[in-house]
Amino acid sequence: MTYDDFLAGDPLIITAALTGGVHGKEANPNLPETPAEIGRAAAAAEDAGAAVVHLHARRPNGERSFATERFQEIDDAVRRHADDVIVQHSTGGTGAPAEKRHLPLRTDPAPEMASLDMGPLNRYDHLTSENTRGMVDALHAEMVERGIKPELEVFNDGHLNEVHGLLERRELADPVYATLIFGGGTLTPPRPRNLRNAVDNLPEGALFNTLGFGRHQLPFATMGILFGGHVRVGLEDNVYYRQGELAESNAQLVERVVRVAEELGREVASPSQARDILGL
Amino acid sequence: MTCPFLDYRDSAGDRTFDTARAYCTAAERFVQPMRADVCNDRYDLDHASDCEIFLAHEDELDEAEIGSEVPTEGPDA
Repeated sequence: MTYDDFLAGDPLIITAALTGGVHGKEANPNLPETPAEIGRAAAAAEDAGAAVVHLHARRPNGERSFATERFQEIDDAVRRHADDVIVQHSTGGTGAPAEKRHLPLRTDPAPEMASLDMGPLNRYDHLTSENTRGMVDALHAEMVERGIKPELEVFNDGHLNEVHGLLERRELADPVYATLIFGGGTLTPPRPRNLRNAVDNLPEGALFNTLGFGRHQLPFATMGILFGGHVRVGLEDNVYYRQGELAESNAQLVERVVRVAEELGREVASPSQARDILGL
Repeated sequence: MTCPFLDYRDSAGDRTFDTARAYCTAAERFVQPMRADVCNDRYDLDHASDCEIFLAHEDELDEAEIGSEVPTEGPDA
């Protein structure tokens, strides 16, 4: 995807990462944690312009859950509150055993999409989310079996090699959809030239989604829009609206990026249009 | 065994929550949910080797205010 794609006016898919699994209400009390809160947040994000909601599950006290039953509760709440939004489950899980990572894929119905982490990511000072090739392949195999579109999460440039490697090892349905992630630590340093470089190193025909952590969320979303990509915003990745001011909601972050897209003349995709673009 | 610095509180300072959350008595703050898995030694995690806060405060354990009874596994485990 290129600036020509921007000029061509392909609709913009906005993903709202509503809750995450790292921080919670201790970071921003407006972050949804319970199934009911996540369901309402999904509906508000969809109304604001999100076509996809990226979901994690939590226990009642906000701590992580990988249980299929908890994802089912969340999906049921999303479908009760939202109209047509695409459900994307996380399969991430620092420190969690491989078998737990498969559980979010086993709801009924299966999520239309699920994340697939392309390689290692350091957490805190002593943890690494390993995401071995064996784990990636096993998760992908179950996604294929259950008709789930993988969203390839590229934490850094080395993971672009892993995307190419995955394509050599396994058959992925077109179009390949990769989220390019920018921030601190193991992530690609958040510099505009690094986004351009990552896009240039994607497989031919791949679509990309742009994710900047924290203060980089809006600038990288804007660049993603201009380079013909898609964008992810939400409280999982950024709890602030601006410096020193907590975001009021996921919808508030979606509304802002919709305004940017509209000012730049880029149509925002409905869930139905997003399904066509992603080949769901 | 859970971390001896772990407590579950529904309030601290000016922060209040509907449900008691993981609070680190060494760092004197609520911890991220992901870190709470380390505090609880869930999965393959172990606070004694995986938590930099525990390692930095380990020598204070005799003086530490030990947390209240802690649920090691919730209903979703």
